[in-house]
Amino acid sequence: MSTVVRFVAIVILATFVVGCASAAAPTPPRTVALEGLHRVAVVPSGETRFAGVTSSKDPERELDEVLKWLPYKDVLVPIARAVYHGVSWLMNQRENAAPRDVSPGAVVAEAFARNLRASGPFDEIVTLEKEPVGSARRSLDAIVRVTVPTWGLVSVREGEVPQVAGFADVHAQLVARESGVILWEHEEDVTHPDRLALTALKQDRSLSREELVEVLERAGRRLATELLYARGRGQ
Amino acid sequence: MNRRVGAMVGSIIALLVLAGCARRTIDVTYPETMANRALLSSIASRRIVIAPVTDRRAEPGRIGAELPKGKPIVTARPVSDIVRDALVVELTKNGHEVVAGPGDVVMSADVEEFWLDAVRGASSTQYVGRVAIAVVIADGQTGEALLTRRYVGLRRRTGEPDSKNTWREIMDTALARTIHDVAVDPDLALTVARAAR
Repeated sequence: MSTVVRFVAIVILATFVVGCASAAAPTPPRTVALEGLHRVAVVPSGETRFAGVTSSKDPERELDEVLKWLPYKDVLVPIARAVYHGVSWLMNQRENAAPRDVSPGAVVAEAFARNLRASGPFDEIVTLEKEPVGSARRSLDAIVRVTVPTWGLVSVREGEVPQVAGFADVHAQLVARESGVILWEHEEDVTHPDRLALTALKQDRSLSREELVEVLERAGRRLATELLYARGRGQ
Repeated sequence: MNRRVGAMVGSIIALLVLAGCARRTIDVTYPETMANRALLSSIASRRIVIAPVTDRRAEPGRIGAELPKGKPIVTARPVSDIVRDALVVELTKNGHEVVAGPGDVVMSADVEEFWLDAVRGASSTQYVGRVAIAVVIADGQTGEALLTRRYVGLRRRTGEPDSKNTWREIMDTALARTIHDVAVDPDLALTVARAAR
């Protein structure tokens, strides 16, 4: 092979490697052995924050478009801005508020436990409101702590009719009661498969509540799936 | 001579960049190293025929569009092949024999969604990858449908507006979550287990 051909081959190869480099394959999930765990409790844990969505991508720009037509700009524009921000804040407080009767950790924990009951890796799985103490704790083999750091609604599609979906970022930790050793840990971004028009959600508050509860239940199912899948790896 | 060689090298590089990288092609896979012996391995081994996977997506020519220009994002291999290969990996890993036929059961799959959505933010872009498949388990002897299920896997994360690595990771993960849902579905495992040998 001549030097020129070799050079061309190296250049082509380098172009592919540098220009079209692919990400390394994701690392396989950690294994978990569930043998010997008969009685397990699932407990909601940690802080949670609700996140809503805003209707406009750039409300400040839209406001500027309106304000440029006002007379006496020096006086009226600051007043109009202050009124706008006040009203926006109040509206967002109302529209982006979490449903008061939904406790995200409890919904995820219940769905997680329900799914594991159906699949049967444990003899008994119960959900508790808070971490057990005393004899209630001693009767358990392991505790699953479920955290929902963030949940709410998120924009999922741009366009003429912006679409949103419920979401929940969740984290689960299976801890051996006696040793305190973390046997399994998993975190996941869970998104509702159905997309909804933002306008429809604003018109019907029950729709957003339904969407939110469903995505939390989905999060519980997803966590259960990944625990069962990780268990398989350990078999 | 050297000038001609230089021009040739330059042309080849330009062509490669235009034809390869500029096409926004990503290679979505479900590698064997990511597969587990899950619930499906707890039943007796079966000979499973995987029927050709049907692509029923509304836009089969692409899996998304790059923002803001709208350039199509495509997969290196047909989406139906990606899904079929993922199912083969999972079933094989779980101790079942994937055969051309005849088998104990026939698994059919339709790809309903395989899509990457993007929403631009102030400093980054949020992506949502979505894979939805409809799976039918049929009796290998009679062809009677025994179970129909829909599995949907999603992955959401933020990333750079133009990052093929991010796109690929999102779609790989969405596919893996879909396949994991298949692998731990107790009804599916039970249906396959009940099929006559």
